[in-house]
Amino acid sequence: MPVYDRGYTHWEPSAARSWPAWWIIARRGIAEPLKRRWLLILLLMGFVPAIVKGGIIYFKLKAGDIADLLGGGWTSIEPEGFLAFIEGQRFFVFVFLAIVGAGLVANDRRDNGLSLYFSRPLGLNSYIGGKALTVMFYYCLVTLFPVYALCLFAYLIAPNATGMDLLLLTPLRATVYCLLAGGSISLVLLAFSSLGKRSIFVMVWWTIMVSGTETIAAIAEGLGKGSLQAVNFLGNYHNAGSLLFSSPARLDVNPLVSLGIVILWTGIAILVLRKRIRPVEVVS
Amino acid sequence: MEGPIIKVNRSKTGQDFSLKVKDLNFAYFRDPVLKAVDFTLEKGAVGLLGPNGSGKTTLLRCLLGQVPLKPGQVSVLGYDMAAQARLARAGLGWMPERGGIIPGMSGVGLVAYLGELSGMPARDAMQRAHEVLHYVGLADERYRKCDDYSQGMKQRLKLAQALVHDPDWLFLDEPTSGLDPRGRVSVLELIRDLAWNKDLGVILSTHLLADVEAVCREILVLRNGELLSRQVVDSQAREPKQVFEVEGFGGEEGFLAGLRAMGAEVVPDGRLHLVTLDLARLTGKAISEVGDEGFDTAAGVNAILGVAAANDYALRRLRRRPVSLADEFYSMVEA
Repeated sequence: MPVYDRGYTHWEPSAARSWPAWWIIARRGIAEPLKRRWLLILLLMGFVPAIVKGGIIYFKLKAGDIADLLGGGWTSIEPEGFLAFIEGQRFFVFVFLAIVGAGLVANDRRDNGLSLYFSRPLGLNSYIGGKALTVMFYYCLVTLFPVYALCLFAYLIAPNATGMDLLLLTPLRATVYCLLAGGSISLVLLAFSSLGKRSIFVMVWWTIMVSGTETIAAIAEGLGKGSLQAVNFLGNYHNAGSLLFSSPARLDVNPLVSLGIVILWTGIAILVLRKRIRPVEVVS
Repeated sequence: MEGPIIKVNRSKTGQDFSLKVKDLNFAYFRDPVLKAVDFTLEKGAVGLLGPNGSGKTTLLRCLLGQVPLKPGQVSVLGYDMAAQARLARAGLGWMPERGGIIPGMSGVGLVAYLGELSGMPARDAMQRAHEVLHYVGLADERYRKCDDYSQGMKQRLKLAQALVHDPDWLFLDEPTSGLDPRGRVSVLELIRDLAWNKDLGVILSTHLLADVEAVCREILVLRNGELLSRQVVDSQAREPKQVFEVEGFGGEEGFLAGLRAMGAEVVPDGRLHLVTLDLARLTGKAISEVGDEGFDTAAGVNAILGVAAANDYALRRLRRRPVSLADEFYSMVEA
């Protein structure tokens, strides 16, 4: 019977499998921004540093030490070089996450969407998990995925490269780092998103959080007060990541202190999310 | 993430469809919003009536398990909503009054998305989204972005998303809010069809009495968080004392005396006489003996006709005075 002739019928479930709620939320969250053409162009721009680094690696391996002048550690195919690459991608991390993540919870709160979500058989963890996965995907898109490509590229062109380093250990380090850092950054961004009902409000706070703290850290460094660099939000992630990549600290702060700060931020974000995300808007 | 995926539309055989609320007290802050609310509902069309701020929406949120509850207070479809709300929600559809759409999505995309979140496989959800959008009359607009929908279309879309997973109960919070008269009638017709012909339980929360009269068989009246009354719609027929409007000419004095001799109360109302008859006394039946249809008003009409004939009183008008739900509601709420 054609659909238009059926009226209301009861649903007969098919044998197809259904997906977990967090995956359904993440899938939609990932697909939605990709419908914007300008974002795709921006995304392509996010890959430019990886292409440049790939070119430099190629040039360095072929031209020897002369190419060292071009980029220092950033061009290295040692683990440190890849952490430096991820660090260098912070502008794109900042921009993409602001665009993709700022409205994820704020818009749902504005449009009473939380009430719809929580009238379905899903819980808070699935909701937050799905949203965080969306942010993490875009984080990995400009950090982890280029690292994979660069490792493979370097392995293919480096005359003495071993698969152990470039195909296993470095990608593994990058994976662990990006999943942990991306997860934590996602939760912090979502926590900001849950504090407002307008994504522009969240973007302002995100800008203060990323660029503001980086500026303060730079001023502190200029004034010779290295310990104040601990306020640098993204800098702490890179600094803590230096433990994983066996590279020198990125800030004048002990990497373990940075790790503690990152854990603290993550904890606060989880508390905020648990407090703010609920189906009922209670006005005191 | 939470445990296993929940399949909606579980086997309906032997399932408990009831909603049980037991001594429910609830407060967001200090002031209680619901006070000792207690009722049990079987599947059917139930109106939740009450003035603004009486706790209707909060009661629906308790039934959905969207607010923290104590064990044993609210049980829906056999699940305790304090601990098993997720399981119960697979069988519940919710149409919120405010917002309730996700901007940026097409109508069919939104309904399918929420169907999937209810535990439906993606293909089933998409097919079902098309079906319910046809059913609610949004077939031609289903690919448009829901941000661009009119208020009436948004209400229909919200109804469609509540129906997509074929719930056992539909909780509708002010479903006709913001609709023009024609849109209101068509939405009410849909709800009535679902409740009366499609075997869905419906709780219609509203302050519009006409909506309840059009759809519901039973009403719960809330005031200041208390369940004031529970009765069947048109329960006036079950009342033993019925008022009849009488107008005529001729032997009026004898006619009125005859009525009073029969035990009737007579009050003049302009050209009319309002005659209150005790049908229980007249028919010799107790309230417990009459069914949902109530007392046979023909007995009262015949009695008045007899007195009129005996006193040469020519009747111009004789009918039972209809008592609207509005009269009952306001008399209850303002009491």
